[in-house]
Order: sequence, then structure tokens, then C-alpha cells
Amino acid sequence: MKYFHYIFRNVRRNPVRTLLTVSSLAITLFLTMILVSFFSINSEVTSSVRIYNRIVVLSSQGFAGRVPIARNKEIAAMDGILASTPFSWFGGKYNNETMPFAQFGIDPDTFFTIYDELIVPTDQLKEFKGDKTGCVIGKKLAEDRGLKVGDPLPLKGDIYPVDLNLTVRGIYDGPTNRDRRMCVFNWEYLDELIKNSPQSRTNGGNAGCIVAKCKSADAMVPLCHKIDAEYHSSDTPTLTQTEEAFGKMFGEMMKGLRWVITMISLVVVVALVFVAGNAMAMSLRERTTEIAVLKAIGFGNSLVLFLVLAEAMFVAGVGGGLGAFGCKLLCDTVDVARYSAGFLPFFYVSLANATMGLVLALLIGFFSGIIPAVLAAQSSVINGLRKVV
Amino acid sequence: MSHDPEFDGAPREKGSQSIVLRGVSKEYRRDEFRIPVLQSLDLSVEEGEFLALMGPSGSGKTTLLNLIAGLDRATSGDVIIHGQNLGRLPETRLTRWRADNVGFIFQLYNLIPVLTAFENVELPLLLTNLSKSRRRENVMTALRVVGLQGREHHYPRQLSGGQEQRVAIARAIVTDPYLLVADEPTGDLDRTSAGEILDLLEQLNREFRKTIVMVTHDPLAAQRAGRILHLDKGRLVDDVSQESQGRIGAAS
Ligand SMILES: Nc1ncnc2c1ncn2[C@@H]1O[C@H](COP(=O)(O)OP(=O)(O)OP(=O)(O)O)[C@@H](O)[C@H]1O
Ligand SMILES: [Mg+2]
Repeated sequence: MKYFHYIFRNVRRNPVRTLLTVSSLAITLFLTMILVSFFSINSEVTSSVRIYNRIVVLSSQGFAGRVPIARNKEIAAMDGILASTPFSWFGGKYNNETMPFAQFGIDPDTFFTIYDELIVPTDQLKEFKGDKTGCVIGKKLAEDRGLKVGDPLPLKGDIYPVDLNLTVRGIYDGPTNRDRRMCVFNWEYLDELIKNSPQSRTNGGNAGCIVAKCKSADAMVPLCHKIDAEYHSSDTPTLTQTEEAFGKMFGEMMKGLRWVITMISLVVVVALVFVAGNAMAMSLRERTTEIAVLKAIGFGNSLVLFLVLAEAMFVAGVGGGLGAFGCKLLCDTVDVARYSAGFLPFFYVSLANATMGLVLALLIGFFSGIIPAVLAAQSSVINGLRKVV
Repeated sequence: MSHDPEFDGAPREKGSQSIVLRGVSKEYRRDEFRIPVLQSLDLSVEEGEFLALMGPSGSGKTTLLNLIAGLDRATSGDVIIHGQNLGRLPETRLTRWRADNVGFIFQLYNLIPVLTAFENVELPLLLTNLSKSRRRENVMTALRVVGLQGREHHYPRQLSGGQEQRVAIARAIVTDPYLLVADEPTGDLDRTSAGEILDLLEQLNREFRKTIVMVTHDPLAAQRAGRILHLDKGRLVDDVSQESQGRIGAAS
């Protein structure tokens, strides 16, 4: 590209101005990557659980309701169900940190059969099953907190009026797109504490939800219907759905947030078009005579248009590329999720998202450059030259 | 060029008319007003002539030069350069025509400040299909002609006014156009530098047989040309051929 040299020199003409434009694009694209990745990780994880054939039984009142623990055995006994476990969010404090990581009360006998993508060494699993106050934690969590098998893990109750004095009995690992920062412990331990606690307002015996693994993918939907039909006329009807649909339900809850963020991003993008466009227009106003000279010596209008657009897109592309791929690089080398206080189990920027960020930046460059470019292309040679002479 | 549909009339030959203006008028419009600048002007310039245009400020010298160089269009009349009627060329063709046929020299040099002398001279060649090495060859030749070999990596701000103007001349001749137009090329230079630039223009006219039209306010500069035309209020008032004085243009 024989014109690249000239474009590049123009970009460097006013380094400070270029740097400001590049920075504003880089910062914006960096943040956009974080937001976009957050939502796309969410939907990616949601759809990736399809293969595990799991269904989630909630109370028909949703997250606020409870599911009687007796249902666990009843569901496990149904045709087509491989195993089932209670799944209760504890949400305790660790070292006075609120919501440091996810904690669930589960059935040690079935949990790792149901979540068979999570691997825990056989001897550790045996230890866990044999110790009612034991727990198994994710590898990442163990690394973050420097925890080993045998270490105590006290959790102070926040929603529940009871404290758990857990001991790490095992450490599980799993695929990168799974939460490897969970802590799972025996649901019965929690239930006993609740039953014996004087402040407790319930008698226990309830699970937050029940997760069951089906023997085949085809069995999932019919089983969901069957379970809901079964409890339809009881005092505690259920809402059963596949794990994927359950994840989507979470996604739906964030829909409003997602819309707000999308709108804010759009506004920021439009603002950036103006910022970059103004910088470009300023730069070209200073070059009126030069443009006229180029045209005089034979540069056609379309070539001038191309040169200006290419310059605007180059600046925006460099900024956007730095922001988007810089963000990706950062998330690839540093485990960002660790600093999210348990909000994100893992975090990464996909190549597709980073590329999309670059394309977005190029579009910003295009739209910021189009008006100055058209003006430059249509400017009169005579007037441009007269300005100086 | 001879297969060109816009080719105007008689075939071109050596020593034939290089520039022909027939009844050329130019007026600018500003709102309702029409400002006549050039009025039914006739002019013919031989190939290889060195013509100086003089006249008071506002008499239309730049306007006339712009018409000859294909930068602007006449309101009426024909501008025929090298057999090509410029009025009949559409805008893009006219731009292309300028790139192929005209070299521009300006009073304030008008170099691109962010490009080196080499890159400035190379600019018009980017419009051609020449390979990088051929472009380089041509740029170096042009810089040698203007006496700036060894300065190719300097930026305009690192050069004196006279040197800048020589880079501009190198840029004007690098595509080997046959017509050079210069609007007060020495207007911003001291005597010595001006003399050097005029020497160079004379040399280009004599040795390379370039047709040159130069606008100037300086009678001494005009003396270098083979012929001086005076413009007053948009009309050619006299036509002084200097051939009798021994300043022979290439027409001889
Ligand atoms: N774009 C334009 N619109 C209106 N009037 C114009 C325009 N360009 C030139 N003129 C007028 O045309 C006349 C001739 O201008 P021109 O620049 O050709 O003069 P000149 O002889 O080159 O003057 P100078 O010696 O000062 O350069 C002037 O009166 C000028 O004001
Ligand atoms: Mg003038």
C-alpha cells in the first residue's frame, strides 16, 4: 500500500491529538469488552450445560420458595433419573468478607455423579462422604486462598442464623468454563444446625432447589413435566426445567440490566464518533491547502476521500485494537475473576468478542471520518490554494 | 492522446501551438453579482515557450493560470492545451490530465510538511503504475536536476526557502509533464535564491524543452522569459516578445 506511508505520517502530525483519540477509543473498547464478555460468558455457559442432562427443580414460587427434602428421594426414584441432590445456597461470610465465593449444601453421595464434569480424587471424595462437617472446594478457590486438604474453612451465616465450621476434605477440578471457586458441603449438616438453632424460624427440612441428572437428553423435558404434574396439587408445587432453561431464567433477570448497558454503550459509541470526528475535522482544517495541492497535482476526489477515511479508521483501529486485544491479553494472563469478589467464577475475552471490538472501533473510525472526508473530497482546489497565496 | 474522443481538431506536431485560448471569459458569481475577471481573451503559446504573465494585483493572472493548468474552467470560450480541449473533459478526466501533463510551482512552495523532500517529490508518482524502484530512480533524477542530491531525507522545515522551492520544482517535473505553471515562484525569496530558481526554470525550458507559464510581479524575473504578457482588468494589454533581445525561447 503505497499511500500507507502518507497516511501514517498524517497520523503522527499532531501526536498529542492522535494519542488522545487513540486513548479514548482504547479505554472505551476495553470497558466494552468487559461488559460484552460478561454477558456472552453467561450465555455461553448456559448453553454449554446442555450436554450434562441435568434438570433443576425449584419451588413454583421461584427462588424465594423452598422444596421439601423428601422430594429429593422421590425424584431420584423416578424412571429416567440417574441421581439427584439438594442444592442450597448458603451465602456465608468468610473472614468477614460478604459473598466471597459460592457455597452450596449438597448430597455428598450423588453430587459428583450429577456434576460429573467436576473431578475430585477418589480418596478425597471418600473422606468427604465420611465427614459431615467436611467440604470440597474448587481448585481455583484453593489457589486463591491458599487452602489445602485438612484446612478449616469457617463460614459465618449471613442469610441463615447458623455458622458452619467446615474442614476442607477435597479439592475438585473441572473444565475452564465451570465455576472452580465453589465450596460444596453436606446439606444435612446445615439442616441439623438449622433445626437446633433457637433463632431459626423454620424447622428445616427444605432445600433451595433439587438438581437431578437424567439418563438421556430426550428424557429431560418429559421428566420436567412429570415432576411438576406430580406435585401440582400439593402445598408446595414445583417449577422444573432443564439446567439450560434455568440459566436462561437467570439471564432473563439480567435482561433489564443488559438493555441499560447496551444503551449506555451505544451512547458512548456515538459520543466517540463525535470526539474522533472532531479531531479529524480539526486536523483537516489545518490541511486545507495541502489537500488542494494534492488535488492540483492529480489526486482525485475519491482518492482524497479514501486517504482521509483510511486515516480516521487507522487511528480508531489502533485505539480500539489496543483496548480490545489488550483487554483479552490481560484476561488471558491475569485471572481477573479472582478480583471480582466471587461474582464471576471465571472470566475471559473470546477472540470473537475482541475481533468484534476491533470492527466496532473501525466503524467508529469510519463514521468519524466520513464527514471530514466528504468535505475534503469536495473542497475546491482554487479556494484551497487561494487561502495561502 | 490522438485516439481521445475529446481530442480537438488538428493533430499535434513539434513546434505547434501548445496553449490556445479562444475568446476565453471567466467570471465569478457571488450571490446575484457576476464578477467578470477575464474578458474574451485570445492567446496562443508555442510549444517550448517560456511565458511571463505580469499585471497589477487583481488583474486576473492567477485566474488565467488556473484555466491554463486545468484547475478551473472558463465561463465561455475554449482552452486547448496540447490539442486537448479542457472544457470537454469531465472532472475526473481533468484531474488525471493534470497529473499527466502539468507541473505546479507555487509562491509558498506548498510542500507537505510531514513528508521528506524525497517523499514530497514522490507524491505525484504514487498516482502512476511505476514500481517502487522506478519511482525512486525518477525522484533521485528530479532531485539531481534541481541540485538537491543528498537532501532527500530532509523535511521542508530543515530547508531554506530557496531549497524548498527547488524541492517543489522537482515535484513538478518528476512526472515529466510538458507544461509547467508557476505562480510567483520567487515572490517569497531573496534576490540570490530567486536568481537560482529562475536559472533553474530557464534551464528546464532550454534543456528539457518544458513549456513554462510564470506569473510574476518582478520585472527582473519576467526578463528571463522569452515573452512577457501584461494583463490589466482581465484583458491582455500588450504582448512583448523578447526574442529580438536575444532571449530566445525554445520556439526558435
Ligand atoms: N473565488 C472567487 N470568487 C470571487 N472572486 C474571485 C475569486 N477568485 C478571484 N476572484 C477575483 O478575481 C480577480 C482576479 O483575481 P486573481 O487572483 O486572478 O488576481 P491576480 O492577478 O492573481 O492578483 P495577485 O497579483 O494579487 O495574485 C480579483 O478581483 C479577485 O478578487
Ligand atoms: Mg495571484
